[in-house]
Amino acid sequence: MGRFIYRRLIHGLIVILGVTVIVFVVTRMVGDPVQVMLPLESTPEQRAAFEKKLGLDRPIPIQFLEFMGNMARLDFGDSLWQKRPAMDIVFEKLPMTILLTAVGIGFACVLAIPLGIIAALRPGGAVDRVTVFGSLLGLSVPQFWLGLLFIVVFAVQFKILPTSGAGTPSHILLPALTMGLPTLARLVMLVRSSMIDELNRQYVKTSFAKGLPFVRVVGLHALRNAGLPIMTLVGWEVIRSLAGYSVVVETVFAWPGIGLTAIQAIEREDLILIQAIVFTAAVCVVVINIAMDFIYKLIDPRLKLT
Amino acid sequence: MKKKGCLFLAAVWMGIFLTGPGWAQTRQITIALGSEPTTLDPQIREDGGERAVNDNIYDTVLTRTPEGDLIPSLAAQMPELVAPDTWEVTLRSGITFHNGEPLNADAVVYSIQRVIDPDFNSEQISFFSTIKAARTTGDLTLHVITDGPDPILPSRLYWLKVVPPVHSKDPGFAENPVGTGPYRFVTWQRGQHIDLVRNDDYWGDAPQIMAVRYRFIEEPGTRLAGLMAGEFDLITNLLPEFTSHVPKSVNVLGLEHPIVILNANSGITKDPQVRQALNLAVNKMALANGLFEGYAQVAQGQLLSPSFFGYNDQVKAYPYDPDRAKKLIEAAGVKGQTIELIGTSGRWLKDRDLVEAVAGYWEQAGLKVNVRIFEFNEYLNRLFDRKTRADAIFVVSSNELLDADKSFSAYYKSGGVGASNTDATLASLIDAARSETDEQKRESLYHQAVKRAYDQAYFVWLLNIEDIYGLSQRLDWPGRVDARLLVQEMTCQ
Repeated sequence: MGRFIYRRLIHGLIVILGVTVIVFVVTRMVGDPVQVMLPLESTPEQRAAFEKKLGLDRPIPIQFLEFMGNMARLDFGDSLWQKRPAMDIVFEKLPMTILLTAVGIGFACVLAIPLGIIAALRPGGAVDRVTVFGSLLGLSVPQFWLGLLFIVVFAVQFKILPTSGAGTPSHILLPALTMGLPTLARLVMLVRSSMIDELNRQYVKTSFAKGLPFVRVVGLHALRNAGLPIMTLVGWEVIRSLAGYSVVVETVFAWPGIGLTAIQAIEREDLILIQAIVFTAAVCVVVINIAMDFIYKLIDPRLKLT
Repeated sequence: MKKKGCLFLAAVWMGIFLTGPGWAQTRQITIALGSEPTTLDPQIREDGGERAVNDNIYDTVLTRTPEGDLIPSLAAQMPELVAPDTWEVTLRSGITFHNGEPLNADAVVYSIQRVIDPDFNSEQISFFSTIKAARTTGDLTLHVITDGPDPILPSRLYWLKVVPPVHSKDPGFAENPVGTGPYRFVTWQRGQHIDLVRNDDYWGDAPQIMAVRYRFIEEPGTRLAGLMAGEFDLITNLLPEFTSHVPKSVNVLGLEHPIVILNANSGITKDPQVRQALNLAVNKMALANGLFEGYAQVAQGQLLSPSFFGYNDQVKAYPYDPDRAKKLIEAAGVKGQTIELIGTSGRWLKDRDLVEAVAGYWEQAGLKVNVRIFEFNEYLNRLFDRKTRADAIFVVSSNELLDADKSFSAYYKSGGVGASNTDATLASLIDAARSETDEQKRESLYHQAVKRAYDQAYFVWLLNIEDIYGLSQRLDWPGRVDARLLVQEMTCQ
C-alpha cells in the first residue's frame, strides 16, 4: 500500500511537471500579454517599458528557472491582469467550482442510479423507453442553450429563481441542474447497460433462486459488481468539470468559478494566472485519480493496488 | 382576539408593504456590467469595469457634460496656460474625501505624481504621457508642467481621478476606495457584487438614487434575462438585436469607430484611385442597418465623432457608388487582382461580420478579397507590424480623450502604431496641432488633416457605433457620449 501511494505520487508529480512546462512554453510562444493589456494606441516605447516592469523582457531560460522555483513554493507571483497573487485567485474561485460540481454531479448520481436500475429491470418496458429517450435528449442538448432555457423559464417567466450570480442556495439550483443533466444522461445509460449485464449473470439467478430478498440482490450484489464502470464515469465527470469544462455553465450563469476565470485569463494573455490554474487543475486530476484507485479497491477488494 | 390578531397582521403587512420594499425599490438600483473590476485603485488599470464603479466614487479635476463639453469639476475654473508648458489649476474649496482627508493642491499633485511614476507602472500612462511634473503653488492652486506645449492637457485632466494622499498608501486601498465623489464605497464581494451608497456630504448636487449595486455578467443573454426578470435596472452593451425585448433602451453615439486601414505605400492600394474605389464600393448605410439594426451611424469620412475636438463637418462620407467603384478599379488596371483583408473575431461587436461584409462589397467592385481572420494576439502582430503592412487591416479605434490627437497619432500619422501611410504633409499637420495652444488654429490644423486623409482615402471609414443600454421601466437616464455610467445623472421612480 505504501509503495502504491509512493509510486502514484511520483507519477503524479511527473504529470504535473510535464503539464506546467508545456503551458509555460506554449503561453510564451503564442502570446504577448503587453500587446493585449495596453490600449491599442499605446506607443512602442510605452509597451517596452511596461514589458520591462513585468519582467517579460528577460531571457526565457531565466524566466523558466524563476517559474520552477515559484512553482516549488506554490507561489506563481501576481496575476498580470488582476495585480494580486495568482494563487489567491485560484483559491477564491476553485471552491465555487467544487461546490457547483458537487451539487451538479451529486444530483446526477442520486437520480441516475435508481433510474438506471429501474430501467434495467425491464429492458424495453415503459420506464426503460422513457429513460433512454430522456437520456438521448439530455445528451443532445447543448449546455449553454439548456442554461439559457432554464433562465428564461424559471427566472424570467416564473420569477422563482435568480437569473445568475452566487451567494444564496437558490443561486446554485439552475447552474447545478444545467451541469448535472448531461451527466445524468450519460450516467443513466451506463447504469442501465451495466445492470442489464449483471442481472443476466448466473450468480444473480442463483441468489434469487436461494430466496434472497430482491433489494439485497439488485441493490447490493449486482450494483456493486456494476460499480466499477459507474465510478469511472463519475470520476471522469468530476475531473472534466474541475479541469475547465464548467466554463459553459459558469459563463451562462455568471458563476464565479475557475472555468470562467481560466477563459478570462486566456483572453487577457495572463501567463501567470494561466499557469496557476493549469497547475491546480493538474493537481486535481492527479488527486482524483489516486482517490479513484482507492474507491475501486473498496468496491472490488480483489483488485491489487500496484 | 382572533379579529385583533388579524388586524395586527394586516397592519404589519401594510407596514412592510409601505416601508420595506418601498425603500428598496425606489431608491436603490442594480447595474449589470460585462466584467468585474480587478482592482478598485482608480489609477492602475485601464479597465471598463473598474471605471464604471470608480467614476461614481472619485471625482476628476475636469469633467464633461453629457454632450461631451469639458467643464470644471474639482477645479473651480478651466485650467489656464501660464507659460507654454505650464498650466495653472485652481481647485474648489471645502471639499473633503469620504474619510475626512482634505482635497487640496497637495492631493492633486500627489495623484499626478502617483500615476506618472514609472515604478507605479499604470496602464493609463498613455493618457498622461506628456505630463512631466506637478507642483503646488498655494493651498488650492497648482501647476502642471508638460513636456513641451500640450493643448490636450485639459482633456487629460478629465481622466485624472484624485486619490487621498494618506489612505492611498494603505495596502488595502485597492479594495477599499475612498474618493470625493457622489457615492461612497460600502462592500465588495469578489465574484458577486459591489455596493455603493450615496455620499450625503457631496459637494455637488445631491444625487437622487440612494444606493447602487454592481453585478458582473459576461454573457449578454444572461444580462438581458436579468433585466427582463426585474433583477437589474441598467445593463451595458445591449446587443442591437435585443433592443425590442427590453422595457426601455438608451442609445448614444459612442467612441468606437470601425475602419479599414489601407496600405498607401505598396500593393494595389498604393494607387489613390483604388483606395477611393474601396470606399465607394461599400454601402455603409446597409452595414449600419443590417448588422447594427440602425444603432450605428455612417462615419463622415474621418476617424472622429461629431463630439470630438477636430471634427470637420465639411467632410462627408464617400457615397455608395458601386458603378464608379468598378470603373475606378478598371481604370487602375487592378480588376480581378487579390487584396488581403486582415481582421479578428470576437474582440469588438460584430467585427467578423463587418470584415466579411466589406469583403463582399469589394468583390462586387471587381477584386478578389483574401479575408484572413486571426486570433487577437496574432491579429495585433499584424496591426503593429511596421515592416510589412498588409493591404487592408480592419480595426476599431476608440478615443476616450475625445480629441483628434490620440486617434490621429496612432492611425493617421506616418509611423503611428497602426498607420499605413508615409504622408509627410499629413504628419506635419498632426505634429503642428499637437503643440499648438491656440484652440482655433489647432482645430483648423485638424480640419486640414481630416480633409487630406479623406482626399487621399487612406482608410475606408465605416461607422460610428452607438452604445446601447437596457433600462428597467423605473429608471431614467439620458446616456452620455463618453460612455461613463454616472449614477448621479440617473433617476428612478
